[in-house]
Amino acid sequence: MPKQAQLLRALVDLADTLVADFDLVELFTLLTDRCIEVLDVSAAGLMLVAPEGDLRLMASSSEAMRILELFELQSSEGPCLDCYHTGVPVLNQTLASANGRWPRFSAEALAAGFRSVHALPMRLRGTVIGALNLFHTDRAEMTAVDVDAAQALSDVATIAVFQFRASLEAQVINEQLHHALTSRIVIEQAKGMVAERENLDMERAFAALRNHARNHNLRLSDVAGDVISGALSASALDRRPPVKMS
Amino acid sequence: MAGGRRRERFLSRLLSGSAPGREMKRLCDLCAEVTGMSGAGIMIMSGDTPQGSLCTTDTVSALIERLQYNLGEGPCVDAFQQERPVLEPDLVHPSPARWVAFSAPAIEAGARAVFGFPLQVGAVRIGALNLYRDRPGPLSDDQHADALVSADIAAHAILMLQADAPEGEIAAELEAGADFRYVVHQASGMVAAQLNVDLGQALVRLRAFSIGNDRPLTEVAEDVVGRRLRFDDGGGEKYPAP
Repeated sequence: MPKQAQLLRALVDLADTLVADFDLVELFTLLTDRCIEVLDVSAAGLMLVAPEGDLRLMASSSEAMRILELFELQSSEGPCLDCYHTGVPVLNQTLASANGRWPRFSAEALAAGFRSVHALPMRLRGTVIGALNLFHTDRAEMTAVDVDAAQALSDVATIAVFQFRASLEAQVINEQLHHALTSRIVIEQAKGMVAERENLDMERAFAALRNHARNHNLRLSDVAGDVISGALSASALDRRPPVKMS
Repeated sequence: MAGGRRRERFLSRLLSGSAPGREMKRLCDLCAEVTGMSGAGIMIMSGDTPQGSLCTTDTVSALIERLQYNLGEGPCVDAFQQERPVLEPDLVHPSPARWVAFSAPAIEAGARAVFGFPLQVGAVRIGALNLYRDRPGPLSDDQHADALVSADIAAHAILMLQADAPEGEIAAELEAGADFRYVVHQASGMVAAQLNVDLGQALVRLRAFSIGNDRPLTEVAEDVVGRRLRFDDGGGEKYPAP
C-alpha cells in the first residue's frame, strides 16, 4: 500500500474506535502499532502527563523490557520531557551526539540498538498533554512527509484524550443530577409518611424531618431514608425547632 | 446547512434574551421553533423510567410528558430506551401500532405527529426531547437535522447547568420550570403508611387505582395528599363523604 493510503487507513481505523464509550488505552495501542507501519519507525510510545505532573507511558508498540525502561526514564530526562515542556517537536536527534543533552537516556537507547529518536507534542490549542515518541534503529532522519504524518497521528491521540475527559465529566455530572433527584424523591416519600402517621400537612411534615435532622446533626436525606425504611418511626421525630446559637 | 452552522445559529439565539430562571423554558421554546414544531418538552429519565419534565412549551407538550410519566410509554420513553430517534408522523394511524394508552389522550389534546430524540453526551444518557406537531407528516431532512442539533445542545446545556449545582442538589436553573411530580412520591408515602406496605407496593396501588378509574396518576396523588382519597386494607379505596 502507498504511504498516503496507509496513513489514511490508519486515521480511519482510529476514528472508528472513537465511538461513544471507547477504551483510551486500546486506541493508544492501536495508534502506536500503526506508527510502526505508516512511519517506518522501529518503536513508538505515547506518554501522557499524569495529574501529578509527571509523564507516564500509556501505550507502547513493544513490550520489551529495555524499551519500556526507555519510556520510564523520560519522567526525568529525554526527548518526550523536552517536547512536553516546550510544546515543539524534537526531531532527528542522533543518540550518539545527544549524550550531553540526555546522558542516561542516550546510553540506554544506544544499548537497546536505536540510532535516532523523535518526539511530537500532543497539543490542543495552548495545552500540551503529552508526546508521541518514535525510535529508529536504521537511520537518523525523518522525512518531512513522515513528520507531518506523525503529527497527524499525535493529534488523533490528543482529540481522543479530550473527548474521553469530556465524557467522564459528563458521566459524573449526570450521576450527581440523578443522585440529587433520588434523594429529593426519598424526602418527598418520607414527608408523605410522616404527614399520614402524625396527621400533619406536607409543610409541617417537612419541618418535622428538617428539625429532627438539625437537632441531631444529621443529613435530611438520611433522616428521610430512615423514616421510609422503618428504622425511625414518625412519632419519634424530634420536632422541636432547633435552638439558635447566639 | 452544515452541523456547525446549525449549532452556531441555535446557540446564538439561546444566549440572547434568556432571563434568569427561564433558561430551560427558553431552551424548550427554541427546540420547537428551530424544528418548526407545535411544541417541545424535555424529560429526565433514569433506569428506563421518566423522572419528570425539565420544561414544556405549552399545555399539549405538558400533557404529552405527563402521559408518558404516568403510563411509562410514548416516544420519549422509546427514544431513551432504544438510544435513537423515534418518529411517529401520524399518531392517528401509527406504524407500527404502538402506545395504546398514550395515543388516545394525546390525539384528543391535539397532537397528530410525535417525535422523540434521546438526550445523550457520548455514552451518558440523560433523558429525551419530545417534539409534537398539530398535523400529521414526517420531518423534512432539514427539520430532522435541526432536531438532532437541538437534542445535542439540550443535553450539553443540562449538564453545564448541573455542573455548578451545590453537592446533592439539583441546579436551580433546572428546577425552575421543572415538574418532578413530587406529589406522586408524597402520596406514595401516605399510602405506604395507610396500608403498612413498602413504597414500591404503595406506588403500584396508586397506579392500579389510576388505571382502574381512568384518572391521571398525578390527579389521584393530589387527592391522596389533599385527604380526599384514602387507601385501606380491604382494597376498597374510598373518597370520604364531603
